Amino acid sequence: MSAVWTASRNAVRRRRLQTFVIFLVVLVCTVTALLSLALLDASRSPFQRAFEGQRGAHAVVTYDPARVTGAQLVAAGSGVQAAAGPFGQVIVEPEKGTGPFFSRPMTVVGRADPGGPVDRVDLWSGRWPQTRGEIVLNVPPQPAAEFRLGPLGRATELVTPDGALRVVGHAFTVSGSADGWVTPEQVAALKPTGTQMLYRFTGDVSTRAALDARLAGVTTGLPGDALLAAQPYLVMKEKAAATPGVYLPFLGTFGLLGLLVTVIIVGNVVGGAVISGYRHIGVLKALGFTPRQVVAVYLTMVSVPAVAGTVLGTGLGLLAVRPVLSDTFRGLGFGEQSGVRAWVIVSVLVGVPALVLIAALLPARRAHRLPAAQAISAGSAPRRGRALRVQRALSGSRLPRAVSLGLGIPFARPARTALTMASLLLGVVTVTFALGLSDSVTRIDEVGSRSSGEIGVRPYQGDQHPVTGRSDTEIERMLRDLPGAARVGVGVARELSVAGQSEPMQINFVRGDIPEMGYEDQLYEGHWMTSDDQLVLPTQLLNERGLRIGDRVTASLDGRWTTFTVVGETIRGLPGPEGAFATWRDFPQLGPQAYFYQVQTAEGTDLAGYVAAVRAADPGLDAWDNTGGDAFGTMVAAFSALLALLLATVAALGVLNTVALDVSDRRRDLGMLKSIGMTPRQVVTMMITSMAALGLAAAAIGIPLGLGAHRLVLPLSADAAKIRLPEYVMQVWDPATLVLLVFSGVAIAVVGALLPARRAARLTIAQVLHNE
Amino acid sequence: MTEKSTVVRLDGVRKEYGDTVALDDVTLEIRAGEAVAVMGPSGCGKSTLLNMIAGLDRPTAGEITVHGQRLDTMNETRLALFRRHHLGMIFQFFNLLDDLSALDNVALAAQLTGSSAGTARRRALELFGELGITDRRDAHPAALSGGERQRVAVARALMNRPALLLADEPTGALDSRAGEQVMDLLLDLNQIGQTLLIVTHDERLAHRCASRLIELADGRIARESALERL
Repeated sequence: MSAVWTASRNAVRRRRLQTFVIFLVVLVCTVTALLSLALLDASRSPFQRAFEGQRGAHAVVTYDPARVTGAQLVAAGSGVQAAAGPFGQVIVEPEKGTGPFFSRPMTVVGRADPGGPVDRVDLWSGRWPQTRGEIVLNVPPQPAAEFRLGPLGRATELVTPDGALRVVGHAFTVSGSADGWVTPEQVAALKPTGTQMLYRFTGDVSTRAALDARLAGVTTGLPGDALLAAQPYLVMKEKAAATPGVYLPFLGTFGLLGLLVTVIIVGNVVGGAVISGYRHIGVLKALGFTPRQVVAVYLTMVSVPAVAGTVLGTGLGLLAVRPVLSDTFRGLGFGEQSGVRAWVIVSVLVGVPALVLIAALLPARRAHRLPAAQAISAGSAPRRGRALRVQRALSGSRLPRAVSLGLGIPFARPARTALTMASLLLGVVTVTFALGLSDSVTRIDEVGSRSSGEIGVRPYQGDQHPVTGRSDTEIERMLRDLPGAARVGVGVARELSVAGQSEPMQINFVRGDIPEMGYEDQLYEGHWMTSDDQLVLPTQLLNERGLRIGDRVTASLDGRWTTFTVVGETIRGLPGPEGAFATWRDFPQLGPQAYFYQVQTAEGTDLAGYVAAVRAADPGLDAWDNTGGDAFGTMVAAFSALLALLLATVAALGVLNTVALDVSDRRRDLGMLKSIGMTPRQVVTMMITSMAALGLAAAAIGIPLGLGAHRLVLPLSADAAKIRLPEYVMQVWDPATLVLLVFSGVAIAVVGALLPARRAARLTIAQVLHNE
Repeated sequence: MTEKSTVVRLDGVRKEYGDTVALDDVTLEIRAGEAVAVMGPSGCGKSTLLNMIAGLDRPTAGEITVHGQRLDTMNETRLALFRRHHLGMIFQFFNLLDDLSALDNVALAAQLTGSSAGTARRRALELFGELGITDRRDAHPAALSGGERQRVAVARALMNRPALLLADEPTGALDSRAGEQVMDLLLDLNQIGQTLLIVTHDERLAHRCASRLIELADGRIARESALERL
């Protein structure tokens, strides 16, 4: 074995560039594979991960405190793996005027701390309530800076009929066990109407029927009417599945692309390294190495840089993946779950070296069978000219000779060219897809942020703040006059009874610049209202109500039946509960508090400054920054860019390897060309042309494929989220972008080829030509 | 003798590779139309001398002037351009590009100077005719015999009408019959005025083709003598 080790060590030393290339390729591929696998894992079961992380409750159960005591509940533990509670629970009705976000009844639970055996609440900002009068609100984690600027971040108290509760922190439960938490003493003072128990069950909990059976086991023996309500975790899981769906297919596609490119490039680089060493293999055999020892030498030779690259790559990958995963989970609304699961790490640590070994083993086995004399003559005996016809055609062309010679090089080694082409192709497809995805996500974001108006304004209604003295038109004028305002929209929301429907429908009567603020761009069917008897509905509302474009809706408006026609379908409605759009009507009976305003500012405007200006101009107005709501979209775009960059780097490394091998194979030819007067620049031109041609071909094939992938994956992801995308979001391609993409294919090839091409230009001719 | 008729001038040329001295204080001149053979035992510095004159390697000390231009002060690009226009080289192992036909191998030398493909091929065909290998124009190097390959290499070397033809063991890889043919060829070239510098172990080649013999030993010129051609 020592002879094998000595030969391997020498081979590693002698082939420093190739060893370095293998190390680098394996390193970058490991980072890519780790990132891809971690994201694939995250995208497959984000809810489950968050749920397990918090030891989520399989069932959140509310009992009637009048029917059952806490002691009875604690004693009833049949089939229960872990339980938390009893906790006092009360529904509080926030006072009107404490902002649009406290407009609904809230479930408030008394808990002494956020931990426990079940439902370990993620307290991500502030502290847990310690005394009466304090509350922690249930809010998914958000970046601190963005959260502080948003309306919830600035809500300091919740006013209830029983008094005000000071907000001392924000926490998140994936089990959905409460909207807010107070101390047990506080909840007792609020006169709890329920007792909450949180259960984790043993056995099967995968279906509603199974959960019902588990729950029946617990409640057996309790008074029959003690159970008020039970919320199985499957409800939260289904709810969660609809929200992040829009992004998951993107992440999955990128993960798969990353793994595919990794396999191809590693195969290309490692296989090439072994093939280029055939002559050395012959020498080893002539020295007396057995075929098995020769294979061992080559496997050891590639294993040294491969293991080093894998270990370092895993370390770097873990560092890189932490913030990405953290942002992903935060974006998915599941809090911070930045840990990479063990199976991902083990898969990468074992899988990448295994891939390298397999890639090396295939050509090494051929070397195993190769007679020594044949192996030794490899590369030195004249080869039968390949692609002679191509070369002849090129030599007769008007192109500079260095260019035409370079164009012919890929035809000399078709198998190597095919592998290089495959990696370039994947690089171009990835860059194209990433660019399209990033632009589309940006457009979705743009539509979202434009339509939410950047700045939201609403008059205060409660006792805590002064009441504005301005009318709605005066407020609108004031907002328009403040420096930085570009567009101002005004709306008034009315809940109207609809003929033939059991639930009222919210209709937002709007005026001003609402259509220009992005809502009209979001239309993917129909048109914006042109008269006051028309409605435009968001898809979700349209589906919920079973309506279609052209249908009529008869609503009771201030005591009179009014008929509207649905004329358009749009992605999103105004912030808050989904409502239809209708053109403005005057409602003289409503006070200024009924109106809300959206402001879009001119580019470069300081949003915080504008918000401050609104509050200074009229202390009776509440104003908040609406931007940054879709940080996940930004993260997806950033992640797309990162992975595309990584894959492009890996593709460039594949090219670097190919050119390094070509230079090594063609040392004699290069020496000869230099001896008859080829300048160093012409040598570089020739070698770069050989790869630029492949880059161009890869662009010609890869760009349409990337465009196709974008056209296919985006609607699929929209389908997953049960939304439709307007054509505006898909039309991200323009001639300049396409030219940029062609350039990217060529650039990947040129960047990869540059280093070995320059090395070729510096080749010492005398040594090459005389040492045959 | 005027400076103009001197094709090669070496003045105190020294070449070191680490601690090894390959050439030591070599001074020589080769005049236009001369055929000079360089001989000596292995490792005496023959190939190093040829590399210096061809601008393929740089001296540690001394001056090298070829066709009136100082090679030791030129950068790589100027050296390449100089070789392209003023030097032709023939190697022991031919060094033809396997992927090009015989004709395209030869035409390549002219195309690198900017000649069009048509012009380069016409000139190459002239040379093929002169060297008697016209019927092999479309063959690729692997299909040619050793002698034919060396003729193609000679044609390539002559393509740009060089002032100096350098031959490094031109018959070293050939059988005796092919070697004879190449010797005849070199002799013919010299007789029509081509300046030749031949590095060889083969005394027959030296005596057949050269008019002057330079013998090297340990990197120095041990002896210079005029030769009577056989």
